Amino acid sequence: MKLRFNLLSLLLLLLAPGLLPAATTIVRGPYLQSATPTSMVVRWRTDLSERSVVSYGLAADKLTENARSAGVGTEHVVQLENLQPGTRYFYVVGNAPVPPPSTKAGAAAEDGPASAAMSSFTTPPPVGAAKPTRVWVLGDPGTKNDTQRAVRDVYQKFTGDRPTDLWLLLGDNAYPDGTDADYQKAIFELYPDFLRTSPVWPALGNHDAQSANSITQSGVYYDIFTLPTRGQAGGVPSGTEAYYSFDYANAHFICLDSQDSDRNPNGPMMQWLKADLAATSRDWIIAYFHHPTYTKGTHDSDRDADSAGRMNDMRAIFLPVLEAGGVDLVLTGHSHVYERSWLIDGHYGKSNTFNASAHVRQTGDGRAGGNGVYRKPRIRTEHAGEVSVVTGSAGHASTQPVPLNHPVFFLSLNEAGSSVIDINGLQLDFTFLNEKGEKRDWFSVIKE
Amino acid sequence: MRFRSASFFFLLPVLALPAHPELDAALQRINARVAASPQAAALYLERGEIYLGAGDLLTAEANFQVAAELDPQLPRLDRARATLALSRRQPADAIRLLEGALRRNPADTEARILRARSQLASGHSAAAGEDFAAALALLEQPAPEIFLEYAACAANPIEAIRRLDAGCARLGAVPALLERALALEESAGLIDHAVSRLDRIIARVERPESWLKRRGDLLQRAGRPAEAGASYAAARTAIGRLPDWLQESPATTRLKHELVDSAPSLSLSP
Repeated sequence: MKLRFNLLSLLLLLLAPGLLPAATTIVRGPYLQSATPTSMVVRWRTDLSERSVVSYGLAADKLTENARSAGVGTEHVVQLENLQPGTRYFYVVGNAPVPPPSTKAGAAAEDGPASAAMSSFTTPPPVGAAKPTRVWVLGDPGTKNDTQRAVRDVYQKFTGDRPTDLWLLLGDNAYPDGTDADYQKAIFELYPDFLRTSPVWPALGNHDAQSANSITQSGVYYDIFTLPTRGQAGGVPSGTEAYYSFDYANAHFICLDSQDSDRNPNGPMMQWLKADLAATSRDWIIAYFHHPTYTKGTHDSDRDADSAGRMNDMRAIFLPVLEAGGVDLVLTGHSHVYERSWLIDGHYGKSNTFNASAHVRQTGDGRAGGNGVYRKPRIRTEHAGEVSVVTGSAGHASTQPVPLNHPVFFLSLNEAGSSVIDINGLQLDFTFLNEKGEKRDWFSVIKE
Repeated sequence: MRFRSASFFFLLPVLALPAHPELDAALQRINARVAASPQAAALYLERGEIYLGAGDLLTAEANFQVAAELDPQLPRLDRARATLALSRRQPADAIRLLEGALRRNPADTEARILRARSQLASGHSAAAGEDFAAALALLEQPAPEIFLEYAACAANPIEAIRRLDAGCARLGAVPALLERALALEESAGLIDHAVSRLDRIIARVERPESWLKRRGDLLQRAGRPAEAGASYAAARTAIGRLPDWLQESPATTRLKHELVDSAPSLSLSP
């Protein structure tokens, strides 16, 4: 009888979530998603099922607020709401609230997350207002190898104490198949500090699509990320996480799905893109997606069969709309190189149709210390020029010689690295850092 | 290992596709796994799906056939073969295969959507609609395309609009759904419905000027010029509220000219 009672007690303990405070381990995250000036989604994974609670506040010793999601599980998704724009919040994730400030200093609640680590994030500033903004851009990072680590480490050194406001993943985030295990190694174990402090905004690549389906919005990519489908972070509702947009300060970011969504000129993604471009009042428009419009790296945008025509579609169908909508920067990956154009417009054919006199809006290197930064009119003007950047080498460069001879590009490099965007009011500065920490390219665009 | 069909021979020229970096890499990986486990039906299915994705239908079929010979009950196999059949514009074959897949797993939403599309390709709109409805009930976050396809199978415009509205209720004011609903409402003479829809859009967008212009155009076409004029004037007022750098943009300037053309009482300057 006594044995039966003990077994029953043990069973009850095991089945009662939250009653074993130190039994669970956070195996993923926390990571930040769908940031807006007044809200943030915090996600994490535990090895055992438990409740989801985020305790947060304006100081590390004043976690005065708690947010929860319903139910218990191992995948935790909690939305913090009614936050102040441009404000730093400290937070702890766990299965129960941390003690309120009135309790004994430093003590955890009896059932609280005693060993949970403190993290912090800063909410985006009010939409529209200019604020110095740093964006880290990683194309095709997910190799899990030393190159990926080196690219990460040189950026960390480069940015130093300057916080990263947001970071973009341009697809092929986790090789080879975008499985949950691939993501665990390639993203969650590679970038834990960035993930807990800065919201990440991904695009779908062909390798991610091995384990995901855009029509049913199912699979690993869609399970892992929480992305705005109703325009809640700015922009027009897309109804899908496959493509979406968001605002940060005076910039509007547009993510397209070049892999798995309908790319027809009258398809839902195109209709959404047109509406989204027409709706934005931000100073800067930055578009990003996986398949490059131009490349002569590990892929060739002149070859129709390469990537099943996706590069052709993005160049011939989507780029004209982006340029007509006033896009300033087009960021892509897929080709494991770095390629950067002049300030260009109107080149929608194969490379042999490129005509510098017709398609280059401004020649030169785009550098203040060189032959001049790129200048665009402040007035939103269609076809005023954009810079196309293929930055698909955050995990590896090509091990084979590649042509790197597309005429649209000012500079082409077969080097691993990542890119950094700094927006300060009406100036945008772009930098490419290779895996050795060398600043291998840079340019600026000024609106006046 | 003995194969009962000639399909094995189709598996030999597996690297004969044109050079394609990802495809080659994927094939190298799967070929190595097949070599290590030649009896594993799932690997042939996976390899067939790679070829199917690359548009090599013949080699895809051969791989599926080997997979079927090794394990006729292999999950996903019928769905893969149905996708192949639909790619070959053989919807009746696809439906037959998908019935098997759905018998085994009624919650297979990909199979359900594929069967709906096959039904639609066969001209069976009502059956297609049932499958889309079942898929939509199962999916947590369906893509807008599915609502568009579901609406396309509707027996009449009213039902199509109802289905599109159901999509908007679940997904938000998605442009593709709104545009289709507006077009259907206008063609069905449901002008007040269309105006109400536009009013809801106008109330929540940051830049309503082009929607107000569309509202005016709709009312003008419906023979309601006074209300149209009010919409055009509201559009002109909305433009006046934009920051200078947007008011003077070429796109806004074009819109101003269009408004003045539609309502000559309006002026180009504020």
